[in-house]
Order: sequence, then structure tokens, then C-alpha cells
Amino acid sequence: MMVNAELYVRDLPGQLVGSLEPISMVDGNIVGVVHDREQMVNQRILVSVTFEVSTSGQLDQLKAIWKSMDIIISKMGSVYETITTEYMVLGKFNAAYVDGLIEQASKIVNFESVDVGYSSGKSVSGKRTALITAELRGEEERIRLDEFFVHSCERDNLMLIRGL
Amino acid sequence: MVSLAISGFGTVGQGVAEVLRRREKFLTERYGSAPKVVCVMDSKTVARDPEGLDLAEIEKRKLETRSVGTETYSDSLEVLGSVDYDILIEVTPTDIKTGGVGLKNIKLALSRGKDVITVNKGPLALEFSSLIGLARKNGCKFRFEGTVGGAMPIINLCHENLVGENIRSVRGIFNGTCNYILSKMDKGQPYEQALKEAQQLGYAETDPTNDVEGYDTAAKCVILANSVFHRDVTFKDVKITGISQITADAVAQAASHNMVIRLIGEVSDTKLEVSPRLIPVGHPLGISGTLNIAQIDADLAGPITINGRGAGKIETASAILSDLIAILDERYGHA
Repeated sequence: MMVNAELYVRDLPGQLVGSLEPISMVDGNIVGVVHDREQMVNQRILVSVTFEVSTSGQLDQLKAIWKSMDIIISKMGSVYETITTEYMVLGKFNAAYVDGLIEQASKIVNFESVDVGYSSGKSVSGKRTALITAELRGEEERIRLDEFFVHSCERDNLMLIRGL
Repeated sequence: MVSLAISGFGTVGQGVAEVLRRREKFLTERYGSAPKVVCVMDSKTVARDPEGLDLAEIEKRKLETRSVGTETYSDSLEVLGSVDYDILIEVTPTDIKTGGVGLKNIKLALSRGKDVITVNKGPLALEFSSLIGLARKNGCKFRFEGTVGGAMPIINLCHENLVGENIRSVRGIFNGTCNYILSKMDKGQPYEQALKEAQQLGYAETDPTNDVEGYDTAAKCVILANSVFHRDVTFKDVKITGISQITADAVAQAASHNMVIRLIGEVSDTKLEVSPRLIPVGHPLGISGTLNIAQIDADLAGPITINGRGAGKIETASAILSDLIAILDERYGHA
């Protein structure tokens, strides 16, 4: 899991590095660090750090180490990397059909966001095009959504063009 | 001196003859003598000479009379069974449904202990495992670089340069005709008009089914799945969607979101699929025109992208030449 933490460390030499070392000690991976000397409270400076750990056990261990080092954790929250994926549906359908698809899909994946656009023109054959752009939390969700759209379009005799 | 038999003398066969002539000096310098061609067959006639044929003469005769020889035949197996050669270059037309005469020719050559080079996709898409098994059983070399991507060296790249890699996936554009049509649709041409233009330029056959329905790409994916991923699959295992149902509307909508639609073949340990995909503009797989492109995802090297001409007389013959050199290098112990 990706975690973002705001720490207040004593404004003394070596404290910044000292606050980051425990992340490596619990086998975490530091993604980014911002050291803000302007944000000083009670002779402590703000360090915002984003890191990755595999388990909540590692996170608990890390919190205990920081506490033992007199580092104050002012805020901690999980952040997620999102991926964007596109699906184009071609065939005879209406907007209600696409709304229904998205509603069903939302039961199997957690959309961070979803957007639908329709082609401007309607062809002589009555076929239309919808482009669905979805933002998801991670690859597993994308695979589940891929499978859902593939199955639904096969069932309803529609052509599906997936993103890469 | 190594002797060659060439079965098939259409565009690719003639390209092979031309390339062998153009590289005669190189082959002579590398191996002491250039291979001699002792048998050339087209669909109806055969030319043979155990001392070696004059390829320029054969090419000229084919151009003037549409035949390679004056001797007619009805059974290619009879001809190949009666000729003494070391390596068969099998370039008869692809038959994706039955494997055609090419499958029979390859089987006969391998069962007789002959090395085989082919660019014929049909036999490999249908009976890859049995052909490889036959080659192994009889100690033959069986090479087929030109079956996927024409002059783009994908199979040998994976087998030789990337042999230490764990290749996670290969995906790419393996049919220049479809890519030409989709590229034209990017510019606003409707599908039917783009197809007609591709036919007029000779990129698409009169019956474009194999190309536009994705069968040609599927055959290439089968070859990649079997040869690169060591799977045991045939043509019927590929999930195929072609491009014939793609509308101008769909292409325009993709463009409005800064994307293009391309027919992508995708192969991995678990995937075997041909389908149109939405590609962001600027992505390597968003290439336009008739070129082929492949993206190999390797665990150590990361993504490797190659592209090149997927078809053409001399381009395909160049893939055959590379296979021939690989076989001759082994025979002559060349480094």
C-alpha cells in the first residue's frame, strides 16, 4: 500500500535522515520526500513523506519506531495510484443501456471516476459509438472490468474496442 | 556445396532467387562456395539440374512464359522425393484452412532429414508442434523468421539475442493491410473506400477476408505463441476480432480523445488475442501506413520495440536469407 505521512521532527542536524531510516528498516520503499522548514511548530519542522509498504504490520512497526524516536505523526493516510482505461462500444444500443452497464460494473469494481461520451452522428445502419473512460485503483480492477465488458459485449452482440 | 530446392516461385520465390544472386559473392566469401539451387517448382512446372540452375535464366523464363520450366508435374511430393537437395525453401501460397501443399512439402522434407526454411504461415498455424517434433526427431533445422513481420526480425531476436530473458508478452501490428486501412480512416476515409484503395495499390487481396477479419494476424500470433512462449496452440485457439465493423464514427471519436484504432495481436503465457485496440497518439503501436511493429516486454531488458516492412518480395526474401545464413553457419561452424 502507498502511504502519505506528515511528520514533525526536531530541528536538529540528522533528524530528517533519522526520520526516514525507519522506513527502510521495515522494508518500505520511499517514493517522495518534501522537507518544509517554513512549517515550524514548537521547534519542529514538517517532513511529508510518501512511501510504500506491503502490510499493515509493517506500518504499525514503523509507527512504533517513529514514536520511540520522539517523531510526531501529525497525519497519515493511504494514497492510491490510479490507472485510466478506455472502452469503446460499437453497435445498436441507447444511453440507458450504457448507464446500465456502468451500474453493473460498479458492483464489481470501485470507479474513481467514469466518463461516457457518445459519437455525434448516428449512422444509416442505426449503429452508434460510446467511449467509456474509467479511472480505477490498480491492475486487478482493470482486469475485472475488462472481463466484464468483454462478456457483456459478446452477450449483447456489440463490438468492443479496449484501450491498450 | 549445399544444395537448395525452392517450392513456390511467386513473388517471394522470385525474391529469393534475386537475393541469392545479389548475395552470391557474400555467400561464396563466407562459406567457400555459394549454395546451388537444384530444383525450382511453381504451381505447375519444375526446373531441375543437379549441377545447379541458372537463377537469372529461371527468373527470365518465369517472367516471359509464367513457368519456371518446361517439365510439368501433378504431385509436388513426387518431385521433391526425386530430387537430391539439402535445404528446402518452402514459399508456396499460404492456406490457413488446410495448410495446403506447403504443409505436405515441409512434412516430406523434414521426414527425409532435410532442413527447411519457410515463410508459409498456414502449416505453422495449424501443425506447429508436429512439425517441430518431426524436425527434432530427424535432426533437421526448421526456421521460419519470415512468417511473422516479414523483414522485421522478431522470432530470431527472441530466440537468439533475448534467449536469457523471460519474455512476458509480445504485442504488435502484424498486418500491413489493416494498418494501411486504419491509417486512411484516421484521415477521414470510410472503411470501404480505404479498403478499395488498398486493393488498387496491391496491399489487399481481391478477397480481403484473411487480412481484415484478423486471420492473418491470428496465424502469426499462433506462431509467436508456439515458438516464443513454447505454448501448444493452433489457429482455433485465438480469440479474433477483425476491423471490418469499425466505423468512421468510431475512428473520429477515438481521434477526439487523442487516440487511434489499430489491429493488435497480443501473445503471452495466458493471452492469445487479435483485436482492434485504442492506442494513444504518440505510442509506438500507433504507427501509420503499411509497416509492422512489435513490442516485446522482457523481464530484464524491459520493453523492446522493433518495426519493419511486413511484406514485399525482397523484404521477405531477406528474412529467408537470414535463416539460410543461420543454417549454413551451423553446417560450416561459422562464428
